[in-house]
Formats: sequence, C-alpha cells, structure tokens
Amino acid sequence: MVDVIKKNIKSVQESLFSSVGSSVLTIATSYLVLNFFRGMFGFIMSSDKDWLAVLNNMQLYMVQAYPESDFIRVWISVGLTFVFSGISIGLWRSEDRSNISVIFDRFFKVGLGLLFFTIVAPTFTSYMGNDGSVITEEVFSRSTRLGILIPTLIGTVGFLVLKNVKINFSYNNSDVVFLYLFIPVVLIWFVKLPVIQLDENRDRIMPDPLMPIANTTKIPWSVIFVLFLLSYFIGIYFKDVKRLKNIMSISWFLLPLLIFSWIFKKPVIEMNEVLTGDIPIFVIFFVVGLLVVLFINNPIVKKYYSIYLGVVLVGTLAGVFISIPMLAKACLLLLSLFSMVVPAVSTSTQGKRSLIIIWLVALVTLTFLLRGGASETGIIVPGSSIFGGFSLTWLLAIFGTYVSFPLGVMLALGRNSKLPIVRIICTGIIELVRSVPYITWLFFASVTLAVFLPAGVEFNLIVRVLMVTAFFSGAYFAENIRGGLQSIPKGQYEAADAIGMSPFQKTGLIVLPQALRAVIPTLVSSAITAFKDSSLVTIIGLFDFLTIGKTVIDNQSVPVNFVGHQRENLIFVAAVYWIFTFTLSRRSMKVEKRLGLGER
Amino acid sequence: MLSMIAVACGGSTEEVVEEVAVEDEHDHESTLEQVQERGFLKCGVSTGATGFTEVADDGSYSGFDVDYCYAVAAAVFGDYSKVEFKQLTAAERFTALSAGEIDVLIRNTTWTQSRDTELGNDFGPTTYYDGQQLMGRKADGLSESSTLADIDGLRVCTNAGTTTEKNITEGAGLVGATIELVTVEAFSEAIDKFIAGECDIVTTDGSGLVGRRAVNDALNDWAIFPASPISKEPLGPTYRSNDSQWADIVNWTVYATIIADEYGVTRANIDSFDYEAAPEMGRLFGKNDGELQTKMGLSADAYYNVVKQIGNYDEIFSRNLNPLGLYREGSYNDYWNNGGLVYAPPAR
Repeated sequence: MVDVIKKNIKSVQESLFSSVGSSVLTIATSYLVLNFFRGMFGFIMSSDKDWLAVLNNMQLYMVQAYPESDFIRVWISVGLTFVFSGISIGLWRSEDRSNISVIFDRFFKVGLGLLFFTIVAPTFTSYMGNDGSVITEEVFSRSTRLGILIPTLIGTVGFLVLKNVKINFSYNNSDVVFLYLFIPVVLIWFVKLPVIQLDENRDRIMPDPLMPIANTTKIPWSVIFVLFLLSYFIGIYFKDVKRLKNIMSISWFLLPLLIFSWIFKKPVIEMNEVLTGDIPIFVIFFVVGLLVVLFINNPIVKKYYSIYLGVVLVGTLAGVFISIPMLAKACLLLLSLFSMVVPAVSTSTQGKRSLIIIWLVALVTLTFLLRGGASETGIIVPGSSIFGGFSLTWLLAIFGTYVSFPLGVMLALGRNSKLPIVRIICTGIIELVRSVPYITWLFFASVTLAVFLPAGVEFNLIVRVLMVTAFFSGAYFAENIRGGLQSIPKGQYEAADAIGMSPFQKTGLIVLPQALRAVIPTLVSSAITAFKDSSLVTIIGLFDFLTIGKTVIDNQSVPVNFVGHQRENLIFVAAVYWIFTFTLSRRSMKVEKRLGLGER
Repeated sequence: MLSMIAVACGGSTEEVVEEVAVEDEHDHESTLEQVQERGFLKCGVSTGATGFTEVADDGSYSGFDVDYCYAVAAAVFGDYSKVEFKQLTAAERFTALSAGEIDVLIRNTTWTQSRDTELGNDFGPTTYYDGQQLMGRKADGLSESSTLADIDGLRVCTNAGTTTEKNITEGAGLVGATIELVTVEAFSEAIDKFIAGECDIVTTDGSGLVGRRAVNDALNDWAIFPASPISKEPLGPTYRSNDSQWADIVNWTVYATIIADEYGVTRANIDSFDYEAAPEMGRLFGKNDGELQTKMGLSADAYYNVVKQIGNYDEIFSRNLNPLGLYREGSYNDYWNNGGLVYAPPAR
C-alpha cells in the first residue's frame, strides 16, 4: 500500500513538477481549469437558471411535433438500433478478458474525481439582478457537501481496497457495456425529477414538485435494454457463423433506410401502384439480370457485352432526365453496377447461383424501401415535417453521408480518369464546392436555389439542404478517397491489366477496396464532421436539434415561461453532441483496430 | 451495398419528381385554387417570437401570428387545423413567399415602402401596431419619461442588420447623443448582455421589451422609453402581388375578427348572438345567403368559422399577448373609437 502511494507521488513529481518551468505551467493551468470548473458549477447551480427548460422539452428535442399516438414507431426505431448493436457486439465479441480490479480501478478514479470536485466546488455563486446589482447566493451548503463527501469517501476507499485485493475473477471486455448501461436503466426506476405543475390560474407551482419518471419513458427503455441483452446472447450464439457477420454489416447500412422509409414514416401504401408499377418493373429487371447472369459467358453473347453495358449505362444516365418511375431509375442504376461485376463472377454454377440470390435480394430490398420512401406519410403532424429535432439531425447526417459517399467515390475516380472531359468536370465540381464555405451553400439552398430553378419546380427545403450537403461532403470525401487512390502502387494496376481485367473490374475489385481501406480513419472523421455540421442548418431556420435549443424553447412563454433560458439549453445541446461524437469516434477506433490499420 | 446507394440517391430525388409534375399543373392556378387542391394552407411564421410564434413542448404552435394562420385556414377550409407552418428566418421570408413555398407570410413583418413596392409582395391590414423603444435600468437614472437625449454616452445593445439598428443610430444622431452600439445576432443575446451588465440599454420593438420585462419580473427595475416609439412598425400578413382574390380572403379574415370584436361576438356567444339586431354581422357570417363570401370563392359561413374556431381580435390578442404584459388599452392596438388604430371597413 505504502509502495503504491510512493510510486504515485514519484510519477506525479516526474510528470508535473520536473523543472521550475513545468511547475509554473502546472500551477497556472490547474488554477485556470479549477476556476473554469468553479464558474461552470456556479452557473449550473445558480437559482436564476431553469433546468426544466431542458427537461420539460425532451419530446420536442427528440422528435419535435411527431404525434404521441405514433410514438411506438419511434421506440421501434430506437429498439431496432439497440437490437442490431446487441447482435453486433455479440457477433464480434472480443476475446480480451480483464481482471475485475480494472472495474474497481475505474470506479476508484471516478470516486477520486468526484471527491476532488466536491471539495473545490464553490459554496457561493453570484448573478446579476434586474436592477444591475450582484446577487450572491449559497448554492452548495456545508451539509450538502458533507452529505456527498462522506459516502463518496467511503466508496472511494472501498474501491481502493478492492482493487488492491487479489480477486481471481476476470470478465469479458464486451460484457462490461451492459454493466454500464444497466446502471442508468435501474436509476430511471428510482430517480425523481422536478416536473412542471400548474395551479388553477395556469401558473407554475414553485418550487417544482418532484415526480417519478413517467412510465412512458421507463417501460420502453427497460424493454429495449432487455432486448439489447437478448440480442447480445443471440449474437454470441451465432458467433461462428461467418455469413451472419456479412449480413449484419449490410443490414447496418440498410437499417437507417428502413427506419426512415417505413418505420418512422408510416407510408400509406396504395396497392394499385404496387400492382401496376412496382411488380412489373421488378419482374422485368429481375428477368434481365437473370439472363445476364446465365448467358453472359456464352461466347456468342459475350461479343455483345460491351454494347449491352453501353446501352444500360446510357439508359441509367438518360433515366435521370426523363420521366419514368423512380423505381425504374434506381433499378437501371443497380443493373448497370451489377452488370459490371457479373462477367468475372458468373464463371461457375456456384458463382451464378450466388449472383442470382444477390440480385433477387438487392431488387426486393430496393423495391421495398423505395415503395416506403416514395409513398405519402400517414403521420399527421401539426407542423411542416415529420422530421424535427434529433430525428432531423440524424436524417441530415445519415442521408448526407449515404448520398455523398458514392458521389465522392465517383468524383475521386473521375478526377483520376484518363478522359480529359470527365477529369475537368470532376475537378471543377470538387474545387468549386470546396472553395465555398458550407454556410454559404446552405444559404444558397435556402434562399437562392429556389430562384434558379425553373418556374413551378419546387423542392422541399430539407431536400434542397440534402442536395447541397451531398455535394459538399461529397467533394471532401472525393479528396480523401483520392489520397487513398494515390497510395496504391502502380504494380497493382499493372497486375490487374496483366490478368486481363476490364477497367471496371480493375477499379471495383483491385483499386477501390484497397484505396477505401487506407482512408477509413479520414472517412470516419468526415462522417463525424457531417453529423456535427448538420447543426449549421439552424441558421436557415430548419428545426434541427440545435435550433430547438437556441430559438424555440427560448420563446415558450405561457404557462411554462422559459423565456431567457437559452444558455441552459445550449449547454445541454453541446453535451448531447459531445456524447454522440465521442461514442462514434471511440467505435471507429475499434473498427480500425479490427481491420488492422496502421499495423502493416 | 449497391442497392443502398441506389436507395440513397432515390430517397432524396423522388419528392422532386412528384413535385415537378404537380407544380406544372398548378402553374396558372390562383393561390386559392392551389391551396384548395392541396388541402392545407402553407403559412410562413417566425422561427420563434415570444407571444407571436411559439412552439410548445409537444410541438404544437401557438401565438398571435399563428392564430391568424389558423384563421385563414378556417376561412378557406372551415377547419383551422388544415395549416402547415414553415418557420422562416428574417433573411428567407420574402424569397420563400415569392418562390411559392408559402401562401401567406404572417411573421411579425414590418410593412415598409420598399418591401411593398420592390419585392413583389403586398401587405394586408396591420394586425399589430408596434414601435421601437428602448429599455434601461431605473438604477441608472432612467425612467419611463426618459428620451433619446438621455442615453448619451451609454452602451446600447441591439440585433444587427435590422431596421432596429438603423433607427437607433439615426435617432441618436438627430438628438446629438453619442452611443456605443453593441450589435449581436439575436435579440435574446442582446437582452442577455443587458442583464449581465455588458450594456446599459437594449432596444427593439416595444412588444419584445414589454414581454421580456414581464417574464423577468422586472417591472420596478427596468424602464421602457420614450413613451412614443422612435419608429413605426406595423405588423401584418403579407402575400404575393397580383392575386387580388387571395388578398381579399386574407384581408377580410383579419377584418372579420375586428368586426366581430366591434359587435362583441366571441367564441362563447357566437351561436346565441342576436343577428337580427346586427345585420352587418349576419352578412359577414353568411346568416342569410352569404353572397358576399361565396363571390370571394369561400363558403358562406367562412368567417363564422373563423370567429367560432379562433375568436375575435380581442380574444386573439388577450389570449396571446396579455400574459406577456401587453394590453390593448391606451395603445395603438385599441379599438378605433377608444383612440386606437384597429379599424375595419364595413361588411356590406
């Protein structure tokens, strides 16, 4: 025990007070950080802050005006995401085990931090009164301080003892996620929060009475936690099925599309359109794909392959401009991509069979998702859109990434193309888009784009924002991917040429997989940037997460009166963004590790 | 993976195709026909203005401007809830209107000559007469009777790029007061700076100042002056030029609420009111043949529905603005024969 303390003191001495200069730096920085913390604590605790402005508006923050009768759809969306996470964590369960003392150590450190901050927290805080005088009030009395200090001290010492006792118990690193999630799930059943109650004059009863958390919050989260746990065990059970991992990866890409087009949106399906539109198109394209797979390697047919591919490609491009059903356009695009891959794979019966299965599954998925996406929503919202608040933030971030990533790949390939026209156009787009700030593009979308469009053409503002976002992040993706393309040795291209691969096969099978793998870290950071940048839409009046905190709640007057409580909301918004981006970046680090990046 | 790309591309463009097709047909239709065919009204409102446009914690809308959106929907459809709100920032409001994204703009917009003549808009009757005022601390020696000359040498906070900023610079220059202008992006920041003591004066429309003083419980600490505002800010509905049918519908929706107020017809007594004794009310509410309304393209009882569902001017005003400390008595928004400016032409 004494040795441990001595060792710690020594390490502190070495790292913080090794010389006069570093001692001065340490003291000055600690002073600044401490004062910042004390100021922050005083701000949060001061009585002129109304944190109910945040708590009372949780529903507005998350889904804005989404009707309460359809909340089950929101819960299903959240639940599905958790179930998918559970299965994935189970499937990719790490084999690393840690001793239980690691957990005790973590709790010990949290305890130490809590102790430290309880000791340094200010007793008094002050704010400006209406008449300009400074009002000082006690926010952290001695009894509260002791009330926190003593249990924390006991706990911290307990964990210190526990972590140094040799307990021969180790746990799997993946399991511990559930312990950390279990704590809040248990807490929501016991914690009481202040709630706004009105008296008969519709005035707020102050101080706000404490109430248990509503069942409509507690029960869904508990159910989701149980499902999460169950799906984790399912994942572990099927851990060795390799194919399931592939299916899971693809499902992760499809999940947001399913949520946005079917679950969240509640499309009104008109059977008439399905029967006369979707099914015939589906059958035609399935048959064409089937024929391609079966006969493409027939020597007679193969001669006409390039003509066929040309026709499909031209059809795809033309489809963008002519008026045919959306599904036909998407199927054409899918068919042209599919046709490029087919000749190399459909050489054996085995290959043909899996190609047909892939084609069928892809077409069914596409038809299904597009039907949901193209149909009218059955949700009646007393506002402008069923997306608002956090759901809009996610919509912008996810669709922004989904559209801009393929666009970025195409722009990057185009910029490296040997054809001068393609190269000039792609370089032009990239440079034009990147040289203008994102905010300017947003203003362009909101104010100017509508004027540029031909008379009568009208896009929804969200669609316009998605369009500029796609191009903007697409240009950045393109430059990242170009970096990856340049990292591929010339020998790879030459080898592909040597075994007689077509340009499409060379790009699709040799170049891109290596190039993308090399730039995963930058791609992830671009995706995180896209998530954060989605908050910029607040300046063009879209009701995203930040707008609600910044301009909406600040204006709620009767009867809740949250006017002037903008800063509490801004702190909350910042905290939520931090939690999400931090989690995302931690997860992406794990993914990088798994792919073995940086270990070559 | 491939299908994902296709779907992603599809997801964002499908709406485009549909809307192009629909809009082409609509090109030569009047606003009323478009609205009726669409089945709901698109109303442009503010992203947030206390008392005028508020969004509650369940996402529902309320406020003075919002109620007039509801009123127009009630006149057109007989159902106030058939309205879709578009929150617009000050910068986009007129573009949104001229691009046809909204049918009517009710977003505390000041009626000015240039906006009326240059932007392709027309303004409806003023629903709220506002005017720019200043607010300072009584502890600094300011009172309700202070004038612009008293702010000499003080720091004034206001939001940038608005007429507010120009008015105060112009006004202070005229009386020879030198002020230090602190401009921020939004009024809420200006008032935060004022509370934190970073400026001595905050200025914006009087309604905003009165509202903030009331919710901050600072009636005895903050003074609003000068008594007659330094600018005129008539706020009312705005619509596209050259569609007089639509203009009439919006205008008479406002007038109907005012006339109902004159006769004391409220949501509560609308069905028990004696229309024989007040033939003007009878005509307005379509109690006989309702020809006045049907000629406008509305149903005979269009304005009956407005008052029945939303209320008269006084009800709309007191419901939304009285809790903020804004009262009609003695203000320009009082009834015309009480010395105010709220006045409607006769319905006949």
